[in-house]
Amino acid sequence: MLTKRIIPCLDVTDGRVVKGVKFENLEGVGYPPDLARRYEEQGADEVVFLDITASSDARRTLLESVERTAEKLFVPLTVGGGIRSVDDMRSALKAGADKVSINSAAVASPELIGDCAREFGKQCVVVAIDAKKEGDRWIVYTHGGRRRTELDAVAWAAEAEDRGAGEILLTSMDADGTTNGYDIGLTAAVADAVDIPVIASGGCGGPEHMYEVFEQTGASAALAASIFHYGTWTVAQVKEYLKDRGVLVR
Amino acid sequence: MVIIRRSVKYPESTDSYRIGQRPRVKVSIADYGVGNLHSIRKALELAGARPVVESNMRNLLDAEAIVFPGVGAFDAAMAKLDPYRDIILDRLKAGTPCLCICIGAQILFEGSEEGEMPGLGLIKGRVVRLPAKRVPHMGWNEVQSDDRLFEGVPSRYFYFAHSYCARPEEDVVKGVTDYEGEFPSMVRKKNVIGVQFHPEKSSRSGGVFLRNYVKHLEEKL
Repeated sequence: MLTKRIIPCLDVTDGRVVKGVKFENLEGVGYPPDLARRYEEQGADEVVFLDITASSDARRTLLESVERTAEKLFVPLTVGGGIRSVDDMRSALKAGADKVSINSAAVASPELIGDCAREFGKQCVVVAIDAKKEGDRWIVYTHGGRRRTELDAVAWAAEAEDRGAGEILLTSMDADGTTNGYDIGLTAAVADAVDIPVIASGGCGGPEHMYEVFEQTGASAALAASIFHYGTWTVAQVKEYLKDRGVLVR
Repeated sequence: MVIIRRSVKYPESTDSYRIGQRPRVKVSIADYGVGNLHSIRKALELAGARPVVESNMRNLLDAEAIVFPGVGAFDAAMAKLDPYRDIILDRLKAGTPCLCICIGAQILFEGSEEGEMPGLGLIKGRVVRLPAKRVPHMGWNEVQSDDRLFEGVPSRYFYFAHSYCARPEEDVVKGVTDYEGEFPSMVRKKNVIGVQFHPEKSSRSGGVFLRNYVKHLEEKL
């Protein structure tokens, strides 16, 4: 049976991994190749590398840093941040990414999703969605959470799937950085609306939150950053916790 | 007096070239796609081989061993390979050892629901869409197999990322995996091995698998 995936996330700016609260107050915690390697040794199922300044400062992903990270890694690496075109995606893949996530550019020109899927196969196209609750729905934000769109997150996820996305990386902006747990409502709604895998992101404070999101939603994977960066939990400890409670993990 | 110091330069991966040691097995990685050959290359290197990325398919003619890596879509892969169909089939039928990964394994069959181009047709049968609700099948899943290439793996979980799987019509299945039903995750026809998972992305288990494969090549060649 397919196991649930635990994915440490490296938010990278200026070649360093940082962790911020609610997309602000960034604080350095280490270097991407070192952290990625450490997490693989702990049993991480994948690693996500997000260049968090790329989109807003109109810079391309830090390909060098991606290359050095991929060099030492033998689990899948997803790279995102500042990917605007099929060529950007090709460069990221050539630098060693296995999957590439697109966010703002997919919202601006949704046909990019299909173009990338046709060129590289849908299994390497991840559509990243940052969403914030408004009333009884969730609104999509782009540019690192700074720009509001008119898109409904659940509808946008379904459209992304139709256009050829192979996976959704879903971040709750309300939960992100709070360590109070994933946004269960948002994750459940999106995972129910699509048939492609959904990675839950934002708000993880410990393995109990991963257990909760796997039990209560159709999420295929749970992403976390600070609990791993700060050494509160290792990936191995998280997996032990989940295994004890009957969640199938590697 | 002037002493000229000459620095002794060893080739890369010095250890395999030292006197008394056999050279590493050369493995040609067929570059017929778009993406990331980086991981399979370094994984084979770590496994003890000497990988060479080959973008000219004609050079496969004198390859000692071939790897068809796993990136891209069926038609995209076949479009690149089709002009060399005869060369490739000739080598495979002549007994050149070949490891085919993911899409690389799917092209061994006669055709695929993913595309319109005919496959290489080395193995009878077609490639069909995975009969599961959540597709792509993405992540770590167990491979049940008693093939020798799995000897010593720390875990039977390997990394998968695919939406299609093979339906062989001959007796080639050497490993199966359960994803809302069993599908063949490893096939083997004489010198040609196909795996649906990505050993190069499967951490230590993948490393042991590839090391076993390289050992198997060393014995054969």
